[in-house]
Amino acid sequence: MALLPEVKADYGKLKNFVNGEWVESSTSKYLDIENPTTAKPIGQVPMTTTDETNAAIEAAREAWQSWRETPPITRARLMFRLKEIMEGHFENIARIMVQEQGKTIDEARGETRRTIENVEVAAGIPSLMMGYNLEDGAASGIDEEAVVTPLGVFGAICPFNFPAMIPFWFWPYAVASGNTFILKSSKQVPLTQAYIFKLVEEAGFPPGVVNLLNGSHEVADAMMEHPSMKGISFVGSTPIAKYVYKKSAENGKRVQAQGGAKNSLIVMPDAVLPRTVSNMLASFYGCAGQRCLAGANLIAVGDVAEPVLNKFVEGAKKIKVGYGLDESVNMGPVVSGAAKKNILGYIEKGIEEGAKLVLDGRGIKVPGYEAGHFIGPTVFKDVTPDMTIAKDEIFGPVVAFMAMDTLDDAIEFVNSSPFGNAASIYTQSGRSAKDLRYNVHAGNIGINVGVVAAMAFFPFGGFKDSFFGDLHGQGRDAVTFYTDRKVVITRWF
Amino acid sequence: MEDFEFPECTTFGSVIRFALELERAAMAVYDDLAGRPDLAQAAESFKALSAAHKKRSDVLEHTRREKLNEMILEPIQDLDGSKYKIETKVPDGVDMAGAKAFSAKMEEVSGSFYLDSSEIAKFLLAEAARILERMGKESQANKAKVEAL
Repeated sequence: MALLPEVKADYGKLKNFVNGEWVESSTSKYLDIENPTTAKPIGQVPMTTTDETNAAIEAAREAWQSWRETPPITRARLMFRLKEIMEGHFENIARIMVQEQGKTIDEARGETRRTIENVEVAAGIPSLMMGYNLEDGAASGIDEEAVVTPLGVFGAICPFNFPAMIPFWFWPYAVASGNTFILKSSKQVPLTQAYIFKLVEEAGFPPGVVNLLNGSHEVADAMMEHPSMKGISFVGSTPIAKYVYKKSAENGKRVQAQGGAKNSLIVMPDAVLPRTVSNMLASFYGCAGQRCLAGANLIAVGDVAEPVLNKFVEGAKKIKVGYGLDESVNMGPVVSGAAKKNILGYIEKGIEEGAKLVLDGRGIKVPGYEAGHFIGPTVFKDVTPDMTIAKDEIFGPVVAFMAMDTLDDAIEFVNSSPFGNAASIYTQSGRSAKDLRYNVHAGNIGINVGVVAAMAFFPFGGFKDSFFGDLHGQGRDAVTFYTDRKVVITRWF
Repeated sequence: MEDFEFPECTTFGSVIRFALELERAAMAVYDDLAGRPDLAQAAESFKALSAAHKKRSDVLEHTRREKLNEMILEPIQDLDGSKYKIETKVPDGVDMAGAKAFSAKMEEVSGSFYLDSSEIAKFLLAEAARILERMGKESQANKAKVEAL
């Protein structure tokens, strides 16, 4: 099938968006942005300096007071305007994501929809941000109220796997709540946000209210250290999430840091097999396994193990791998050569430790894209809970299949993981579903759903080493994270 | 006559692309029939059918943008698109009976595509399934309309 057109072949050198203007970084250090399907550069991203980061934070700080005084309904109108503008650019946003990240056009369109949904939810800020009061709450004739108030400058440090959506788990809520914002996009996939920020500019947010910085750890460290930053939102791997949590807290900031995952999908003997397998294929191989909600371990309970494995492998073999701009492709490449090398290392490790490779995606060739970072659907069987591939986050299209005797065994295994992002069960039994949702220590539970991705009006975040902090991203949690409650007690003489 | 490309139906996007091609082809067929002097007595009906297919294309574009849910993008492995490819070139010199038969067949095949794909979409995207089902029924109604010309 013919490919959908790329938005541009080359996006050139990216600029930062600071204080309402597009500014070129003074750095001499630029990295290539690579299309993972072709392994060719499609732009260059600057490694913004500490001084430039500090200047952006100062601009955001200066913009805060007048933004905070802007009524919530006016702030909401800007969100409505942004939503309308983004709808008009829906397809371009999705196609840029395919180009720089490698996901399929369906996945990118789905992500664009979720991105806009966060703007829609943030547009409800006049209701979301209401405080509460109690007449005669303190004593007779003395009223008490809690006023929800913004705090200042917040920032987010974002990963490569969802270039459009993840920044929008944060900044629309922070800004709609009356804060100003510094967004650092991923250096691997900065094009999508660079494009979206042209739309943010068009929407007419006042200068300094929303700022975009490109770069690496130098920008992130400056954000975590600057005294004017009130809080940091982060999504990435667990070691970096721990670092961000600790460093931000040491500097007196609020922090929400989402880390890695190792999600298990449990199939019970009473599962509806064809629907279960189809749904699991989407979980394990969607976004080439690079979702923090992707399935990683497939656990079959009881005598269903063999039919589940056979059906799953049969379905996995039919997954069409290629360039995501071909609408018939089911799975694209992984994001980079380094990511591919890491995943291949885990496949080698699985073999070394005695797991049996029943579907090997290592040698896949995609005609026309021989240099692309492709790994085909891969399935290991005879995996045991102590193996590395059953424990570590691989972040690729690799399935560790395990057979267990009982649901209790499966739950015990799931809870033995240091991660607690998501777990799913496939069953027609309410009892089994209840056992899982009650007993598993994870932030997202799926009942016959393998990608437990909270909608914009629900909080998103994991447990244990998958999340550091207390308030999650999106919805009411996000508004609470970016605001505080000021109690006012009133008496009139 | 324009070229039409009917993709493999392996994803939600490719099913919608297939449907958009069906609609584009139907518009081209009806525009062609409406412009033929020998079929002048049905020109207005053909124009109306073309306009209806244009409207359906807009609905499909909207469906692709708004009815897709990222968390349940399952691969589609049981919809054989080759069964629903339609003939898009109206024979030269076709008479009224031939035109009716040609367009009725086109609507029939397209109706089958929509109804079959709506069954498959039921578990994947309930809202899109409803739209596909409605279009299948409209195609069946269009078939009856052209047969009654």
